[in-house]
Amino acid sequence: MNIPLQSPDNTNGPSMADYHHKNQCTWCDGCGDYGIWTAIQRALVALKLHPWQVFLCFDVGCHGNASDKLMGYRFHGLHGRVLPFAAGAKLANMDVPVIAFGGDGASFSEGVGHLVHAIRSNYPMTFILHNNENYGLTTGQASSLTWQGQPMNASPFGIPERTIASMDFIFSLQPTFVARAFSGNIKQLTEVFKAAIEHQKHGFAFVDVLQACPTYNHFATHEYLLEKCYDVTTEGHDVRDFGQARKIATDTTERIATGILYQNTNIPSFYERLEPRKGITTTPVHEVAKRDVSEFMRELI
Amino acid sequence: MSRISMKAVGSSGQGINSIGEVIAMGLKRSGYSVFGYREYPSLIKGGHASFQIDVDSIPVRSPGTKTDILITLNHHGFEHNLYDLQKGGIIIHDVDYWEFSKEDQRFIEENDIKIAYIPLDEMLKKLKARPILANVLLTSFVWDMLNQDIELLKQLVREQYQHKGEEVVKKNLECVDAGCIYNDPKLGRVTVSLPKPDSRWKDQLLVTGSVAMGLGALHAGLRVYVGYPMTPSSPLLSYISSVQKEAGLVIKQAEDEITAVQMASGAFHMGTRAMTATSGGGYDLMTETMSMNGMIENPMVVVLAQRPGPATGNPTWTAQGDLLLAINSSHGEFPRLVISVSDPEDCFSLMPEAFNLAEEYQLPVIVLTDKHIAEALCTVPAFDQKKAQILRGKLITDPKALKNLKGSDRYDPSAKDGITPRWLPGYEAETFNAQADEHSADGSIDESAETAKAQMEKRMRKMVVLTKQLPDPELYLAGKNPKSDPSTSSGRNPKDADLDILLVGWGSTKMTVLDVLESMKVGKSESLKVGYLHYTYLWPLKTEMFEKLSAKAKKVILVEANYQGQLGMLLRQECGVDIEKKILKYDGRPFYFDELQNLILQNL
Repeated sequence: MNIPLQSPDNTNGPSMADYHHKNQCTWCDGCGDYGIWTAIQRALVALKLHPWQVFLCFDVGCHGNASDKLMGYRFHGLHGRVLPFAAGAKLANMDVPVIAFGGDGASFSEGVGHLVHAIRSNYPMTFILHNNENYGLTTGQASSLTWQGQPMNASPFGIPERTIASMDFIFSLQPTFVARAFSGNIKQLTEVFKAAIEHQKHGFAFVDVLQACPTYNHFATHEYLLEKCYDVTTEGHDVRDFGQARKIATDTTERIATGILYQNTNIPSFYERLEPRKGITTTPVHEVAKRDVSEFMRELI
Repeated sequence: MSRISMKAVGSSGQGINSIGEVIAMGLKRSGYSVFGYREYPSLIKGGHASFQIDVDSIPVRSPGTKTDILITLNHHGFEHNLYDLQKGGIIIHDVDYWEFSKEDQRFIEENDIKIAYIPLDEMLKKLKARPILANVLLTSFVWDMLNQDIELLKQLVREQYQHKGEEVVKKNLECVDAGCIYNDPKLGRVTVSLPKPDSRWKDQLLVTGSVAMGLGALHAGLRVYVGYPMTPSSPLLSYISSVQKEAGLVIKQAEDEITAVQMASGAFHMGTRAMTATSGGGYDLMTETMSMNGMIENPMVVVLAQRPGPATGNPTWTAQGDLLLAINSSHGEFPRLVISVSDPEDCFSLMPEAFNLAEEYQLPVIVLTDKHIAEALCTVPAFDQKKAQILRGKLITDPKALKNLKGSDRYDPSAKDGITPRWLPGYEAETFNAQADEHSADGSIDESAETAKAQMEKRMRKMVVLTKQLPDPELYLAGKNPKSDPSTSSGRNPKDADLDILLVGWGSTKMTVLDVLESMKVGKSESLKVGYLHYTYLWPLKTEMFEKLSAKAKKVILVEANYQGQLGMLLRQECGVDIEKKILKYDGRPFYFDELQNLILQNL
């Protein structure tokens, strides 16, 4: 993988320096966000995408504080709503890779409906889940992915609800791309992100990044994840095998499978299914012009 | 007054709309101005619904409370609509078991009501036609009663059914032939005379506000539409969907209103023109995103189609109760533009305006409409396609200009008018962050007191400039052909108008008010000067003209379809002038022509 730090003449495409932002990171020591933040820049550079060529959309949460710590066209919006905004953006300009980032609180509680329909719609975009299994930015409340029995801020006796089996849920929606990675493994993260961005030409890519939250998550810690995660590519996993993918994604009792778990490139994306867009080579962004509506008025006389 | 009104009533699903639509289109083609008005409950089958057509050779833009011809498809018409009939009116029915009460009998006799029975079942059996064709029999029967050209009706039937094949067309035409020669043997041939036709109507459009709005949006360069069904915004979704193929649109029926407005906002942010429409509770769900667009200075157009609330309210009826909602919705303070359509003409012409202002000022625009405008059928001239321009404000797409941009130009708080350059993802330039947190010039999160103050002032300065650019409200004068000649454009200085009565209103109220003003050419009101001040641009609100006119007028009357008199509240808030006299309506029905005429005459 060629990921240049500097590109003096810019002839070889972008470098890490192009994504550098003057603002300094503000996450806690040991936060998994550092790894994700690093890996996404590496993936974009490796794909030879300049900052002006991409659109990065951030939900609200600790991860959202990355929105002004790297370059690229960026958006930092409302809690739980990043997916529809990013999907609308992508449909308006199919030439621009669109990557949405959201936490487990935003994606499995506040905006869980959007996640369901984004997968079902197979929007041609990438979604990166910052999964630290709690609400970090609001000081450590339980999310629907927090393990039961964990004392959290606002639930000192643990949550009464059952934890959502997130991967089982995702697979029940017939996704076209599912990956899981660990924020501590930056090399693997970079590879997974690259593949997830490239999957945009086929549809919706879901990447579950397990990350440490050293301040509030005292159960699935960095050490715990380091111990449990294994790379499925080392065991010859066939990413086309839906049943096996779902099985290894769901069963995390002994080990946690990471890497690309499932990919199907034969399902058309939402955009490809739009009948009125067939045969049109431009994108809606380039089509804004005054339109003669005489043909439609004739129907009304 | 020469208008003639007819009304088809029956259960939802019985086909009264097809009777109404065919007669409306037929009469327009015969040279009449037609106004079609539907009332129906929120259900698919059953209930009691109506389709009323008011017809004249002069413009008609409102329904009346009285009808000349009542077509009832079941006995409910006798129960609910008998007293809607004018003196000398006619009921057409096929109910053979009904007995009128004594009181009803007296009404019928005193008012010389004619009752025409048409044995639909028997006729259908003879024709071997399906029950739904009863509508064609009735349409044809009425068509003959109106002394209209039967060939014209046949042409309409052919157009409507040709896609279903020659057999279907043939059967329909047989029903037309049977319907037009039938007469109730007790009555003989009954006719209703219409005013003399005027050929100017023949080539005009017969449209609902929703269709006009859809056409206006397409004309304005709409490329992405995201919607979630909710009456009365659904007809707009339906219309735009129906032309999606020809228009090459990206259309998404979203999973909820939050998704709809977020997707449309994302599409707009990328640089296309996108829109969503909703009603009542759907708009409530969208409000957080309106605030977001205000903060990231993203252009957006949202249509808010009003119906009576609160809560689910009266889903299929009309109201003007969401004005203050539109103006005050969402948390925090941010610039926005609220405008309201009032008839098909401005449904069309205001859409390019809405998109232009959204882009020029980089703010959310709320376009108010209501069930009455959205679903009523009006006869209007083909929309003027010369006037609209596509104005995109400080959108930068030129490669050289893009190269010179710094990320910190995007939200530069020193911009005099508060409007800063806007450029789009995918275009080669220094990048920025569209930041919904309070931010510094390049969109970096910045919670400092200086930035909070500077950025708030930057955003709100846009309102100052916008207010200056917006036109004054329009003044219409009674008896001066008000519909085609708003005095604001006639050269006189309307601010000096000396009025006996100043009516003030907004939205669909205008259609009925102008019909009343038009009718005031004769009689008592002739010596009086009556004017109507109509507000299209509602926020920011311009009050200068209102202040001058109301100071001089002998009487000022607020006309609104809501309980509180919301425009009146707003005017008092903005300029301190209180309108004491109010004509308010909040029963879900629009202002009817004769009803409003009487209410205004009472004040003369």
